[in-house]
Amino acid sequence: MNDILPFLKELLIAPGLSGFESPVSEIIQKEWKPLVDEISLSQLGSLHGLCRGNLGAPRPSVLVATHMDAIGLMVTGLQNGFLRFTDVGGVDPRVLPGQQVWVHASGPKADPHSPLQGWVVQPSAHLLPEELENKVIQIENLFIDTSLSPEQVRQLVRVGDIVSFAQAPLDLNAETLAGHSLDNRAAVAALTICLQELKSRQHAWDIWAVATVQEEVGLTGAYTSTFQLRPSLAIVIDTTWAKGPGSGDWNTFPLAKGPTLFWGPNIHPKLHKSFKELAEKLEIPCAVEITGRHSGTDAYATQVAADGIPTMAIGIPIRYMHTPVEVVALKDIRRTGRLVAEFISAMTDDFMNTLTLES
Amino acid sequence: MKDLIQKLTETFSPSGYEHDIRQVIRNEAEPLVDEIKVDALGNLIARKGKLGKNGKRIMLAGHMDEIGLIATHIDENGFVRFSGIGGLYPHTLFSGRVRFVNGLTGVIGGERIADVSKTLSISQLFIDVGATSAKDCPIKTGDVAAFDRPFFDMGRRMVAKAMDDRVGCAVMIEALRNLKSSPNEIYFVFTTQEEVGLRGAATSAFGIDPEIGISLDVTGTGDTPKARKMDVGLGRGPAIKIKDGGMLSDVRVVQWMIRTAEKAKLPYQREVLEAGTTDATAIQVTRAGVPVGCISIPCRYIHSPSEMVDTNDVDNATKLLVALLSAPITL
Repeated sequence: MNDILPFLKELLIAPGLSGFESPVSEIIQKEWKPLVDEISLSQLGSLHGLCRGNLGAPRPSVLVATHMDAIGLMVTGLQNGFLRFTDVGGVDPRVLPGQQVWVHASGPKADPHSPLQGWVVQPSAHLLPEELENKVIQIENLFIDTSLSPEQVRQLVRVGDIVSFAQAPLDLNAETLAGHSLDNRAAVAALTICLQELKSRQHAWDIWAVATVQEEVGLTGAYTSTFQLRPSLAIVIDTTWAKGPGSGDWNTFPLAKGPTLFWGPNIHPKLHKSFKELAEKLEIPCAVEITGRHSGTDAYATQVAADGIPTMAIGIPIRYMHTPVEVVALKDIRRTGRLVAEFISAMTDDFMNTLTLES
Repeated sequence: MKDLIQKLTETFSPSGYEHDIRQVIRNEAEPLVDEIKVDALGNLIARKGKLGKNGKRIMLAGHMDEIGLIATHIDENGFVRFSGIGGLYPHTLFSGRVRFVNGLTGVIGGERIADVSKTLSISQLFIDVGATSAKDCPIKTGDVAAFDRPFFDMGRRMVAKAMDDRVGCAVMIEALRNLKSSPNEIYFVFTTQEEVGLRGAATSAFGIDPEIGISLDVTGTGDTPKARKMDVGLGRGPAIKIKDGGMLSDVRVVQWMIRTAEKAKLPYQREVLEAGTTDATAIQVTRAGVPVGCISIPCRYIHSPSEMVDTNDVDNATKLLVALLSAPITL
């Protein structure tokens, strides 16, 4: 199997905010093309790769969804050469000051191929009103400084321009990687590993490998791609909370100790059971992640698309989610990819008949 | 146009009770379109044009419902407790007047609070309909009302209740009047229940299955004293939505709108709204997905009984819409 790390790093360096996924979509297309039989884009830009199964047509199909969009920022105004901004998809303002960013400027003098470098800055504590001193400064009071003059900024930057995090991914010890956008590019990497595994194996079912758009702003790609492709089943891979300093105990999962298998009303019980049994058989370590209602993933959308799709969700634990320094263990990505590949290749033509709802 | 806006805003039709406004709009639109119908959720769907060569099936959505109040309980003295239909701001309610859909009127009173610098919450407010007891109170639990305020023509600016989104409906009707020819099959949809969850837009879009969706709605501004920070102001042109609290507009649709506005030499503003959303959000996730955008009419004091818009913005929004619909579209 190819080493997944260079591909994952390429994904992490590419921008691709919710609604603006083309840069990352192109990289995934290039990687998936040799692994799938057909590849196309949905109306909204989700990437659909088809691997045909070896059953006679019509075959059942399984959709594996990983969202490729990333959180980031968007310019809301220009103020004396500084940029005001809002977030796209939920960013924790506590980690913003000091972050290096790329401003994807679209003004009349802007070069679309070379984004502007900038930094998120906050006013000095002693310049703030007393009630804000030593408090977390909310996004509406933060700025981006590009060190350009107000006139230059007016020529380059417009309201609505997107801003992505600029931190390069960083190899840490013990096969862990830190970077922004590991949510959910780690899952895209896992799905890619799954496709690599299945390339040389038999599978009865058709596989729709889908990189969805706009998960972070409302599961937009998952609703629409599932409706379009009408799979028999859906498997969603996303990230979940790993244990780290200050993290909760019961609702977080150890890093490098395997993926999580979601359990709750969002998940088809028999599908969960099949995954759990397979993981045990293969000795792939897994935790069970309980989610009482919304799984916080594309699974919430795939489940209710069209006339309803039995859905399973798998989580790759990462630390510091929705910050620019998310941390993942490569081992967990590989395990996730392998587990899904094993599951799909074990699915027989009558697998749907096993998905009863009785206990 | 002002007469039309007055007629639309002075009609009482909160979400779920769009009967009256639907009739008013139908009277205006019916002579101008090829086909008109009402669907199961009460959306008024008017088709203009047939799919021609290089044409597209387009859905326009302006919501005809308005925010309102619903009686939840009548106390022994005939005072009516209520909750909101859609998002009400309690500080805009006290001492306001309301009109029930059945024609009865009332004023909003409140419990006494010791600290008058505080705002009464909705649960501390009630509607006084002039009853003396529960028995002679003409209002029943579940009766619905809307703000009662007359339309004001201030010259360049106009104020009314329900400008959100009757002004969007007015722009659509005016566009129908001005649209000469189009290669496109255009569905002018006056939607129901936007204020309670974009419900009419979701189902009408499913029925129409459009290739492009555009909502016409109001957006906030940042041009009043100590307003929220927002780069949209009254009188600077219609706003082309890039993002709002619920949606990212399709990049291709945004570019098409900007191209069209610049070519027609129409003023426009780039809109990033941080809270609130429109029917376009529901259209976007319909079926296999629809590229959507929104033309916004900048509006002050949204969801109050006195929503203000600029006449030039309304005119330019109409011109922009007509320009968008008149030519073949390549996204």
